[in-house]
Amino acid sequence: MFLINCPYCGERDQSEFSAGGEAHIIRPKQPTELSDDQWAEYLFMRKNIKGVQFERWNHAHGCRKWFNMVRDTSNDKIHAVYKMGEKPPIK
Amino acid sequence: MLNYNPPINEAKNYSELKISEIEPITKINLRGKNRDFITKIGKELSIIPPSDPNTSSGNEKLNILWLSPDEWLVYSNDKIYLNERNALLEKLFDEISKVQLGSVTDVSDHWVMINLKGTKVFELLSSGCPFNFNNFKNSKGAVTQTLLNHIDVIIHNKNINDLNIFVRRSFCEHLWRWLNDSARFT
Repeated sequence: MFLINCPYCGERDQSEFSAGGEAHIIRPKQPTELSDDQWAEYLFMRKNIKGVQFERWNHAHGCRKWFNMVRDTSNDKIHAVYKMGEKPPIK
Repeated sequence: MLNYNPPINEAKNYSELKISEIEPITKINLRGKNRDFITKIGKELSIIPPSDPNTSSGNEKLNILWLSPDEWLVYSNDKIYLNERNALLEKLFDEISKVQLGSVTDVSDHWVMINLKGTKVFELLSSGCPFNFNNFKNSKGAVTQTLLNHIDVIIHNKNINDLNIFVRRSFCEHLWRWLNDSARFT
């Protein structure tokens, strides 16, 4: 159990949120021109690293808004939380 | 339209705790983003929807709860609004939905309102809720959406030790039983 600071509602328990996978994956502009491998790369392949990762989260049982989070997957330490469309505050 | 069949229609008393279903209640969901939408709501209802998170605004007749940056819940159990419920809804619908300022949805049958009163309300809620009520319990008009015994609820801190809980109709019986069961142990 850990606390997440929703950018809209404030600090809430993690059980109110649902994870939405890796953030900042850009949809290809011309999907029809891609090979199956390139499409599969976009669609399925995720970094899934041990360490600091950029993720999308949804405050599913609160304001139901999506936002981004920088989280260390090895110890669940949250480095930053920022709204959709904003640039990551850390690199 | 409104199904005036209250699903629970009961009131229970425990030591320093009273749980009752309040019905019928008019509930309208409002969604919109731009400033025109906010001013239009303010003009129609004479209350400005709160822009601060987890807060509410209201008068004796109407309450507007903040649900998300672009979503609000209006509720009222005032007799005039109950009788003229369609008038209120239609007025908002014509002024907002029809001109595409935002959306107006009648959710009167969607949410069931349960009222909790007494000094032990927060003790009861804390037994099944991950939310921290420390600041919430002292701020009149505070609103939160959270989980109560794994059920989605909206909690409105109406007054000191006087809460309104909104729960989806399909979950209300389950929550009602859980509340009454837990109340015996607080």
